[in-house]
Amino acid sequence: MSDYLDPTDSVAVPRKTAPRPSSLDGKTVTLLDISKAKGDHLLDRIEELLRERARPKAIVRKRKPTFARPAPDELRREIVGATDVLIEALAD
Amino acid sequence: MSLADSELTADAIEELYARGVTDGLPVVPPTRERVSRAVAATGRDAGELVARVPPNYGRATVEKIAVNAVMAGCRPEYLPVVVAAVEAVCDEAFDLHGVSATTNAPAPLVVVNGPVRGRLELNCGAGVFGSGWRANATIGRALRLVCVNVGGAIPGVVSMSTLAHPGRYTYCIGEHEEASPWDSLAVEHGFARADSTVAVLAADAPLSVYDQRSRAPEDLLATIAASMAVIEHHKMTHWGDTLLVLSPEHAALVGDARWTKADVRRWLWERLRRPVRELLPGRDGGDGLPEHVLRKFKDPAHDDTLVPKFRAPENIKILVAGGTAGRFSAIVPGWTFSKGSALVFRQIRPASLEDTP
Amino acid sequence: MHDGVFFEDQGIPTATVISTEFVRAARAQAGALGAADYQTVVVAHPIQPLTRDEVRALADKAFDEILRRLTR
Repeated sequence: MSDYLDPTDSVAVPRKTAPRPSSLDGKTVTLLDISKAKGDHLLDRIEELLRERARPKAIVRKRKPTFARPAPDELRREIVGATDVLIEALAD
Repeated sequence: MSLADSELTADAIEELYARGVTDGLPVVPPTRERVSRAVAATGRDAGELVARVPPNYGRATVEKIAVNAVMAGCRPEYLPVVVAAVEAVCDEAFDLHGVSATTNAPAPLVVVNGPVRGRLELNCGAGVFGSGWRANATIGRALRLVCVNVGGAIPGVVSMSTLAHPGRYTYCIGEHEEASPWDSLAVEHGFARADSTVAVLAADAPLSVYDQRSRAPEDLLATIAASMAVIEHHKMTHWGDTLLVLSPEHAALVGDARWTKADVRRWLWERLRRPVRELLPGRDGGDGLPEHVLRKFKDPAHDDTLVPKFRAPENIKILVAGGTAGRFSAIVPGWTFSKGSALVFRQIRPASLEDTP
Repeated sequence: MHDGVFFEDQGIPTATVISTEFVRAARAQAGALGAADYQTVVVAHPIQPLTRDEVRALADKAFDEILRRLTR
C-alpha cells in the first residue's frame, strides 16, 4: 500500500484487565441490565445464585436506558464509585 | 492510458480488495494527488478532526474522509457534502454505534436539500433511489466506506445485521424541491432556502406504494397509511422518525387540495392508531405490546385505548422526490425505536467564496 | 463491549454475558479497542423466543463461568 493513503484508522491502545479478588465474599456486585428483552430474567436468576452460593456484601441492580448505545457517562460513574465487580447481560 | 498504466491500476484495485477496505465493488486507488485535490475542495486542513466514528471511534479527519471519498469515486466538489454527512451520522442522536452493530437492517440514508443539488447534478427526479447518477452513487458510498473503514463496522464481524439491504452500498437522494407544493424538509427544520444541508436517517429499504386513481387526499392517504401500518411489524407501536417520500404527482394531489404537510402528518398519525386489544402478542403475530405496557391495562384483551404507531405526528417526515410522471410514493422506515436513532441535519459548509450566498 | 472494556479499565472486574452468535463480534470489537484478550461469558443463542424458565436455565449453566471470570 506504499503508494496509496490508508482509509482506516486504528485507535487500539494496550489495555489490561482489572485484578481479580480471590472470591466474592464481602464484595459489592453490580448487575447491569443492558435493556434487551429477557436480560432481566437471566439477571434475576444470577442474583438468586449469588445469594445462595457466594457471600456478597450487597447486590446492586442497574439498567442501561437502551442496549443500542454504550452506558451513559453518568451511569458509568455511578457504578464505578459504588461496586467491586460487575456482571453485564445480555447481548444477543 | 497506456497498457502498463491500466495494468498498474488493476493491480492497485486488487491490492485494495486484499486489504479488505472495499465494499465488494472496485474502488478508485487513493493516490496522494487524488486525495490532495479532494482535501483542497473542502477548504479545510487535512488534519482537521471532523468526528470520531463509532463503534471503534476512529478519527475521521478531513484527509481520512477524502481517502474514502476518492475510493468511492467522488469528484472533489462532492467532499463538503460527504464531510457534512459524516458529521451528521456521528452526532450522538443518530446512534451510529447501534446502527452499525444491530442485527436489524438500517443503512444511513442521506437526503440533500438546497442549491448544492443543482451544482453537483445530484438526482432528485426520475429514479431518485436508483442508479445512474455519480453524485448520489458516490456520496452515499463514501459515507458507508467511512463507517466501515474508520468506524470499524465490518460486515458480518462487528456489523451483525441479519439481512441488511442494498442501501448499504450507497443510499443518497436529493429532494425535488422544485416539484413540491410545500417547504422542503430542511426549511421545515429551520434552515433557509439558500442553505444546503444533509439529513441522515438510519433507514430501511424504501417500500413502494402505488395509487393511480385517488383524486382526494383522504383516499390517497388511506392507501399510504395502510402501508405505513405494517412497517417493522404490524403490531409495532411508538415508532420514531420515518420518511414519507411523495412523488410530485401525489404531492400535487394533496397540495392542490390545500392540505399542508402538518395536515398530512396529523391525518396519518390519527389513522395509524390501534386499540390495545388488537396489539396483544399472539397467534396472529408473536410480537406485540411489551409486558411493561400491557401491565398498565386491567383487561388488555378488551381494552379500546388507542395506541399510536408513531410517537408523534412530527415523526412522520415528508419530502417530495422522484420523477414528475407516476403516482408512486415510498415509505422509508427509520430504525427509530424510543431512545434509538433519529433524523439528524447538518448544514453543508461552503467550500469556497463562490459558494457563499 | 465498550462498557466491559471501560469498567475493566477502571479496575472493576467485569463479566459480560453474550450469546454464541456474538462471540466473534465481541472479540473483534474488544480487539479494535486494544483489549484482544478480553473474555466474555457465552450462553446459547437464541434468547428472545425463550420462556422465563428457559432463560433461568441458561443462568444456571453459566454461573460457574461467571464466578471464574470475576475471581482469580
